[in-house]
Amino acid sequence: MTLPKGFGSGGGGGAGSADVERMIGRRVENMGVMITLAYIAAWLATFGGTAAGYFYYPWAYPTPSGHFAFIVLTIIESIGYLFCMKVTQEGSQKKTNGLIAAPMATIAVLTVLITMFVGN
Amino acid sequence: MAQMPALIPKEVEIQRLKKIWLMIIALGSIAASVEVDNFVDGSLHQTSIRDSAFTPAHWWLYSHFVALPIGWGMAAVYDRKVPILRGPNNSMNTGLKMTILGYLATMFTIGVNEMWHFWFVEEIFAVPNHWMFNMGVVVAFIGALAYVVRIYARLVELGAETPGENPYIAEMYKMALEGKLYSRSIP
Repeated sequence: MTLPKGFGSGGGGGAGSADVERMIGRRVENMGVMITLAYIAAWLATFGGTAAGYFYYPWAYPTPSGHFAFIVLTIIESIGYLFCMKVTQEGSQKKTNGLIAAPMATIAVLTVLITMFVGN
Repeated sequence: MAQMPALIPKEVEIQRLKKIWLMIIALGSIAASVEVDNFVDGSLHQTSIRDSAFTPAHWWLYSHFVALPIGWGMAAVYDRKVPILRGPNNSMNTGLKMTILGYLATMFTIGVNEMWHFWFVEEIFAVPNHWMFNMGVVVAFIGALAYVVRIYARLVELGAETPGENPYIAEMYKMALEGKLYSRSIP
C-alpha cells in the first residue's frame, strides 16, 4: 500500500501500527468528552439566543415564540448529540451510556424549568 | 462491483469517515434549526413586525446561512483525506459540490433579499428574492443526501456499519454494492 510522504519505512514497506495511529490522530472513540462539552455549549448558546428575545426584544420576538424555539432546538441538539456519541462509540469497548444520559437528562429538566419560569 | 481498492489503511479510512459523519450530524442540526426558523420568521412577519435585517428571527436565519456554506466547506477540506470520496477527475465529490453551491446561493441571497426589501417591504413568500433561498436549500439537501449515502455505503462496505437487519433490506444493500440493484429490480 502506498502511504503519504513521511509515513512508512521509506523503502516500499507497508504501514506499521505506529504509522496507522499517526495517520488517525485522535480516535473518534476518545472524543466523547469534547462532544459532550460541545453539546452543552450549543445548548447554552441556544438559551442565550432565545433569552435575547425574552429580555431584550420582547416587542419583536415574543417569549412564547422563544420558548417554542428553545424546546425544539434543544430536541434537535439532543438527537444530534446522541447520534454523534453512538457513531463514535459503536464498535468500541467503551461504556458511555452514563456519560450520554447524564447531560441529556439534566438539559431536559433544565429546559422544562426554564420554559416554565424564565421570560416575561 | 468488487470492493473498491483501499488507498489508505482500512482503520484510518473508517476513523476519517466517522469524523466526516460527525461534521454532517452537526451541519444537519444547523439545517434543522433553519427549518424551525422558517416558521418562526414567517409567523413573526405576519404578526409583530415589518421586515428588517435586524429582526431577531432574521439574525437566526442569516447566521445559519453563513455557517452552513463555511461548515460544508470545512467538510470538503477534510474530505480530501479520503480518496474513495473523490469526484470525477479527482475533483471534489459531486454531492459536496452541490451542497456547497446550494448553501452559497442562500448566503448570497441574504444580500439580494435585503436589497429587494429596501424597495418592497412586504414579506410575501413567493416574491422572486425568496426563490433562491428555497432553490439553494433544495439543491444543498439533494447534494448532502447523495454524500451521506455515499459515506454510509462505504462504511457498510468496510464493515464498520451494519445494514438493516431486515433480510430484504440487507439483500438490497448487497446488490447495490455489487452494482446489481437496478438490473434486478427494473425489468
